[in-house]
Amino acid sequence: MNSLIGKNEISDTLADFFIQPNGATWANNIRSEALVAFNDFGVPTKRDEYWKYTNPQKLTMIPTEPAALFSNDEPPMFESIDRVKIVFVDGILDLSQSDDLILEGATIETLVDATSKDIHWAKDLFGSLEKNGQKPVKRPLAALNTAMAAEGLVIRITDKCKKPLAIRYIHNSETSDALVHNIIKIESNAQFTLLESGAGAARFNSVLEVDVADNADFHHVRTQGRDHERKTVTHIFGRLGKESIFKSFTMTVNGTLTRNDAVLEFTGDNARATVAGATAGDGESFHHDDTVFITHDAVNCESRQVFKKVLRNGATGVFQGKILVKADAQKTDGYQISQGLLLDDNSNFLAKPELEIYADDVACSHGSTVGAIDEDAIFYLVSRGVPRKQAQDMLVLAFLAEAIDEIDSNDLADDINDRLAAWMNRR
Amino acid sequence: MLNIKNLKVGLAEEDKQILNGVDLNIGEGEVHAIMGPNGSGKSTTSYVLAGKDGYNVTAGSAELNGENLLDMDPEERAAAGLFLAFQYPVEIPGVGNMTFLRTAVNAQRKARGEKELTAGEFLKIVREKAKSLKIDAEMLKRPVNVGFSGGEKKRNEILQMAMLEPKMCVLDETDSGLDVDAMKLVAEGVNALRDGKRSFLVITHYQRLLDHIKPDVVHIMANGKIIKTGGPELALEVEQNGYADILAEVA
Amino acid sequence: MTDMIAKDGVEAETVEAVKSLSGKYKYGFSTDVEIEYAPLGLSEDIVRLISEKNDEPEWMLEWRLQAFERWKQMKEPDWAMVDYPKIDFQDIYYYARPKSMSEDKPKSLDEVDPKLLETYEKLGIPLKEQALLAGVEVPDGDRKVAVDAVFDSVSVGTTFQKELKNAGVIFMSISEALKEHPDLVKKYIGSVVPQSDNFYATLNSAVFSDGSFVYIPEGVKCPMELSTYFRINAENTGQFERTLIIAEKGSSVSYLEGCTAPQRDVAQLHAAVVELVIQEDAEIKYSTVQNWYPGDENGKGGIYNFVTKRADCRGDRAKVMWTQVETGSAVTWKYPSCILRGNESQGEFYSIAIANNMQQADTGTKMIHLGKNTKSRIVSKGISAGKAQNTYRGLVSMHPKAENARNYTQCDSLLIGDKCGAHTVPYIEVKNNTARVEHEATTSKVDDDQLFYCRQRGMDEEEAVALVVNGFCKEVLQALPMEFAMEAQALVAISLEGSVG
Repeated sequence: MNSLIGKNEISDTLADFFIQPNGATWANNIRSEALVAFNDFGVPTKRDEYWKYTNPQKLTMIPTEPAALFSNDEPPMFESIDRVKIVFVDGILDLSQSDDLILEGATIETLVDATSKDIHWAKDLFGSLEKNGQKPVKRPLAALNTAMAAEGLVIRITDKCKKPLAIRYIHNSETSDALVHNIIKIESNAQFTLLESGAGAARFNSVLEVDVADNADFHHVRTQGRDHERKTVTHIFGRLGKESIFKSFTMTVNGTLTRNDAVLEFTGDNARATVAGATAGDGESFHHDDTVFITHDAVNCESRQVFKKVLRNGATGVFQGKILVKADAQKTDGYQISQGLLLDDNSNFLAKPELEIYADDVACSHGSTVGAIDEDAIFYLVSRGVPRKQAQDMLVLAFLAEAIDEIDSNDLADDINDRLAAWMNRR
Repeated sequence: MLNIKNLKVGLAEEDKQILNGVDLNIGEGEVHAIMGPNGSGKSTTSYVLAGKDGYNVTAGSAELNGENLLDMDPEERAAAGLFLAFQYPVEIPGVGNMTFLRTAVNAQRKARGEKELTAGEFLKIVREKAKSLKIDAEMLKRPVNVGFSGGEKKRNEILQMAMLEPKMCVLDETDSGLDVDAMKLVAEGVNALRDGKRSFLVITHYQRLLDHIKPDVVHIMANGKIIKTGGPELALEVEQNGYADILAEVA
Repeated sequence: MTDMIAKDGVEAETVEAVKSLSGKYKYGFSTDVEIEYAPLGLSEDIVRLISEKNDEPEWMLEWRLQAFERWKQMKEPDWAMVDYPKIDFQDIYYYARPKSMSEDKPKSLDEVDPKLLETYEKLGIPLKEQALLAGVEVPDGDRKVAVDAVFDSVSVGTTFQKELKNAGVIFMSISEALKEHPDLVKKYIGSVVPQSDNFYATLNSAVFSDGSFVYIPEGVKCPMELSTYFRINAENTGQFERTLIIAEKGSSVSYLEGCTAPQRDVAQLHAAVVELVIQEDAEIKYSTVQNWYPGDENGKGGIYNFVTKRADCRGDRAKVMWTQVETGSAVTWKYPSCILRGNESQGEFYSIAIANNMQQADTGTKMIHLGKNTKSRIVSKGISAGKAQNTYRGLVSMHPKAENARNYTQCDSLLIGDKCGAHTVPYIEVKNNTARVEHEATTSKVDDDQLFYCRQRGMDEEEAVALVVNGFCKEVLQALPMEFAMEAQALVAISLEGSVG
């Protein structure tokens, strides 16, 4: 069970650095296939079009750079929410800190257990959305994850869950290099909310595969932990059945390097998806990249991408978003907005908002703006007696609010807002 | 002029019947009004006559001076003399109002085998007609209906009507969104076109427009059928008592 | 079932209507003149031969050979969203000229082979100085356009030379400029688009045969519009022209460029390079109506149009405006760019790209903001019909020193029919917080309500589509000089005969 602990010697390839977990034959086959794919793709480099604005070196170097632990000065996320809590420490499930794996309307298993059973429903889902998401853009680090991740949860939702499941990823070792792979299957008419929080490890590679069946709802709210030196790469692969709803929101503050990929595909008609993010970056070492790829392959679906990034002291924010509308996906409504707010002249915002459209009866649009804070607005607030710093914070929060508005639950949105407000003052 | 017989129409994309056998005969020079509650099929009637996509005619006929309208493309119906003043005139960005008008006028003249108007001739006529509708030169230059107020849009519809000189004018809720002054202006424009030969079908929800455009015949439409026909007094009855009484009476 | 057919019928009509917009290629005739070809294929000898034919100075040959060496090591780019059979660069003629234009070269346009002159007449290009571009109504009676006519690999002649000379303006073919003003050419050629810039630019650097050269001295406002008219006539021949325009301090010029080619079954390559140098307070307005033969409905034949165009705003307050109407070519790969080096310099890009049938267009611009208070504006209108693929690709880059730089981008795509594609690939890079970038893009189909409205007023579907598309493109059409706006409107097949102001 020490599959996540890297070998001591430095290997030639990243894959050699991890040990492929051993489970049931079907699971081993899936992992081996993913490994072949990874070796075929090779590790990403900054020459790749999809890594044009983000140098993946920190995500691929062996071993990972250590990341100092961050002494958290605020309570863990989602404490006030009635939830089932599960804790991973440096990518390894810690049952002692977790609630029982019991949630009404859901069955929750560990990846270790599920992949060691000879017969398991996860056989058809594990690695399959990830594999599907490798076209047309290669995502080698997700393939690596499927091949090598031993830890994670396998969740099947059969009803409308009353409570969310909250996963907390604790970063506890300065050199931890963790891979976590979660699989969620939401059956027809079921509903599920997943909350994720925490830095996870010094280097954290997470893959989440979510299959949302017809008429099912999936809500996802994630915060990525304030550890300044963490490196994170995440992939969400979602498949949406007809009339389903998929909503994912991510708040990112701090971290050295964060790359969040979201790859969604509409396969049933009349479904809706939103991927949103609010990012606050501080300092030259901060680099944050949201890469979204939404494929419309069904009629009358609506997708939204809403990303807001506030950047200061040399921080860099990246957005790469794509809406692909296939020839039969008529009546598609695709919307995409990416905005950067640069608080000083060292910060960077880099964006590539793409549309690729093969159906004619569509309404797709994207907007992207970058600029400094509105001095007229500041002046207006200051003239009403609001101190300058506070005025700026107000405007920054107002700027981020459009992304936070994409969260359906008011309680969760309030929680996120509070954290961002606190961040203004202390990083 | 216009003869509609047992017209039954459903939506093309969903299984929904909207007109359930409409009968209507409008003679030369007559002004008819159709009144009725929301969703009774008034606007559908106008769209089907003009040939808009999305409707399925399942039975009946509609003829303009003996010609079968339903077999024609929209532009052929226009050339045959049918004009629809839209309830919501469409905005066409980038296309100048004048260019639009001239293209339309000449397209119809061409279709009828008449000589196309030169720029000079056209300009002279349009200026004259625009003046009486209080449409200034600036409005003629702007893109079609883009940024027009509700009143400007409706006046623009009447200007088009005046320019195209149709035989049969269908006015779909031309009074909607207009204040009293604007309505008067529009009504005057319409009345100026009444020459004893041209026929009108005025579709409206309220009686007030009919104070200004006096109809010869008033029809009440409900559930996709004409349920009552009478003189101008029928409109006043609706104004005083609403549709409920008439509906109850027919049911 | 009948509904389905009815609906399809309408859409088919729409597609049909648009086919007539750019489908009927009016310029597909060929001119029957005796042509002198260089041997087939590309080698050092061919590069030497082209240089020799143009009687070039030694340094030019050296420069070409250097480019050729580099080109041999380069790979054809594959990132654009275009798909075409591999080009066999050894199966192309790199030099072709009408025999009448060889040794005993005509000394003036009067001596040029009447067949060549006729060709331009047929295309509506006036090579007689008293004539004006066909179909243009001139309000004040004395607008003039000087024309440089390039036929395959050579310039046939340039009009109004004398009058321009009096104003101090140099406007001649680049082959002549190499003889008459070698120092100017040497100073600027390759200074905006370096020899090794990209695969096609490097190929052009090695084998360019002719093109136009314009020099506007300090303080001079060019007294007339300048234009070059490119015609590919010979079969199986590539056209590689090079245009170099220099606008000195405080000068200004408006330059127009038009392109056509005969209808041929085999695709032909056109790889041009255009370099603009704009000094302090100078201004260049560069307009293109590109109507190369687009190939037939099945994608047979047509021009591969791989063009590198770049403007360097070297001085403060320099200004450049690219306007392009791209209706032709089987494949277009073209990104007219602006390097905004001088403080307060400005770049504008207005584009209409129509792709129909099997055409593929991947076009856009780059706005590189280096100087303070630089401004750029991008308005792109893409129309896709038939089975065409149309991509806008652009870069807006705000460098760290580009204080208070501004960009506004509006990028709209219109789809006509359900077999075509419209794509948008913008890159936005902002490294200065005082800079502001606004980018908007929309994709939609031709609005059915607008078409119905037009048809209710009596227009047939074709006219209705043309009118609506015209409106969609308006902002770009307005940016064209009057001489071209007319032609462009006709090309977009929207205008009415004898249109009302």
